[in-house]
Amino acid sequence: MSDNFVQAIKAAEVSPGGMKAVELNGRELVVCNCGGSFHAIDRRCGHMNAPLEMGTLDGSILTCAMHCAQFDVITGEALSGPVPPYLGDETPPPRIGALLKNVGMLMQHIRTEPIATYKAKVESEWVWVAL
Amino acid sequence: MNIESRKKALRHFFAKLVEPMGFKFTPDAELAEFLLEQEVKLEVKHGVPFCPCQPIRRDRSRDMQIVCPCIPFHREHFDAMKRCWCGLFVHRDVTDPDSLPQMSAKEMGIE
Repeated sequence: MSDNFVQAIKAAEVSPGGMKAVELNGRELVVCNCGGSFHAIDRRCGHMNAPLEMGTLDGSILTCAMHCAQFDVITGEALSGPVPPYLGDETPPPRIGALLKNVGMLMQHIRTEPIATYKAKVESEWVWVAL
Repeated sequence: MNIESRKKALRHFFAKLVEPMGFKFTPDAELAEFLLEQEVKLEVKHGVPFCPCQPIRRDRSRDMQIVCPCIPFHREHFDAMKRCWCGLFVHRDVTDPDSLPQMSAKEMGIE
């Protein structure tokens, strides 16, 4: 990780527990405010590339809005994969079952990868991110 | 996925849910670690962290009542025992979890 800090966003624009997407040097990032401590991560979910700022941030744990995969925004670690729409042993309704069977075949090979993290600091009311 | 990291995440979310209900994690750290690990394994298999000490019946309405922390679904029973069924959570005032018996609701005269 380099220490080439780039001005990203005004710190006041991201409340504690909030997130905001920014584009820095052509790179899509999300600036997260974990109770006053700022962190920056890649914008795309490590599961299926959903925009992570649409999710929720609880402490340092980000839950993706699309399939509820969870990540630690400090380490970038994937904490859980997607939550399945039906429990493993359950029989979904027939129409949905057929759809899920096909989708499931495609999705079973998709791994949840960790996301990249970037150093962030607040200076002169701005959040700076190291790219 | 790293089991230890997932355990930490479950601790984070569970604490927020059980504390307002008057419960806390058991002071028996070894037991808590073991039970959380089993829950992580169940979550990997089924998609949700079921209670590791109750049977999965393949009946959604019943199975959803054993998703950890299942305290709201068994409130009267667990309050009487001062612990949840598997012992991961105990009443806030409990310091000696080994002294709490694991008794069915029927044995306790609740059902």
